Amino acid sequence: MSRIPLANLEQQPEPIRQWAARRGNLNVFRLIANAPKVFGGWTEMVDELFDSPTFSARMREVIIVRVAHLQESPYELGQHLALARTVGLTEQELDALVGTGDLDAAGFSSTERAAVDVVTELCGTHRLGDDSFAAARAVFGDEALTELLMIVSCYYGLALVLNAADLDVDVAARFQP
Amino acid sequence: MTRIPYRRPEEMTERARELTTERGNLNVYRTLANAEKVYTGWMLAGRDALTSPVLPRRLRELIVLRAAYLMDCAYELGQHNDIARTAGVSGDEIKAITSDSDWTTAGFGPVELAVLQLTTELVTTRGVAPPVLDQVHEALGAEATVEVLMVISRYAGLALMLNALEVDLDETARLPTLPQG
Repeated sequence: MSRIPLANLEQQPEPIRQWAARRGNLNVFRLIANAPKVFGGWTEMVDELFDSPTFSARMREVIIVRVAHLQESPYELGQHLALARTVGLTEQELDALVGTGDLDAAGFSSTERAAVDVVTELCGTHRLGDDSFAAARAVFGDEALTELLMIVSCYYGLALVLNAADLDVDVAARFQP
Repeated sequence: MTRIPYRRPEEMTERARELTTERGNLNVYRTLANAEKVYTGWMLAGRDALTSPVLPRRLRELIVLRAAYLMDCAYELGQHNDIARTAGVSGDEIKAITSDSDWTTAGFGPVELAVLQLTTELVTTRGVAPPVLDQVHEALGAEATVEVLMVISRYAGLALMLNALEVDLDETARLPTLPQG
């Protein structure tokens, strides 16, 4: 049971109501809608992250599921394990991302594995060593590496909000990317 | 030294350039502008957070400094050491917040202490004991509590990017105070 009451999306201003409906009317929106002065900007950030063609939907979910696992967020995992399956991640790959399987044996591409390594080091140590940074930069280049960091940053931070509120995972509603 | 080149204003879209200029053209922005497809949305989220009148500036600066300290983010600490002073945080208070435990005995009021406790527990353990959240919720209400959590969220996440890219602290430029919306 969420520790903070959830707002009624039907009572939100029209743009917020429409945005929430388009993205799946999730509990996370009901939680953040308590703060209408910052909700609008947050939705614009989410839109750009999901509309950008830089990463495939599959790669994005690899990154998000790994962050969700390392940040111990049941809500993010609840949403994104389901989403990850719809964009082709296998059970073996998901097991590896959530720490119950072998990352080396899961069959990730070298680019996906490079992303997982960035997420793991950054979430674990809050920085990247010189060699790790150089390796990541060689794989992604400046623009995509920075965009990868934006995704990590968003979900790393969001996990804290969700965990603090102990937000219930939606029964059936799923994020619409 | 910052690990990737800064984007020049003339390389940005007009909207991205406006948002960057409004926020003092800081190194953090010129660095993150490399992610040009998602930078504007990230800046708009920040703009809402900075212009919302819901949290007193002083309280927001306490949260930011505490999160920056716990995330070991030199850039955030460098910027907000100066910004916090303009929001009424004293040098002694800054010293206490940027230490392991001095903040607990530095004379902060009950609400500020509760918010600092929430920030500390959440950033260090990824969760928070129900009474700690309840105390903030009872004192501030749902809207401000969610804004507190969103500030923690933003600065913890931003610290990862700043640390990963080793963004140099600006020599003298500091984030300007934006008018409240």
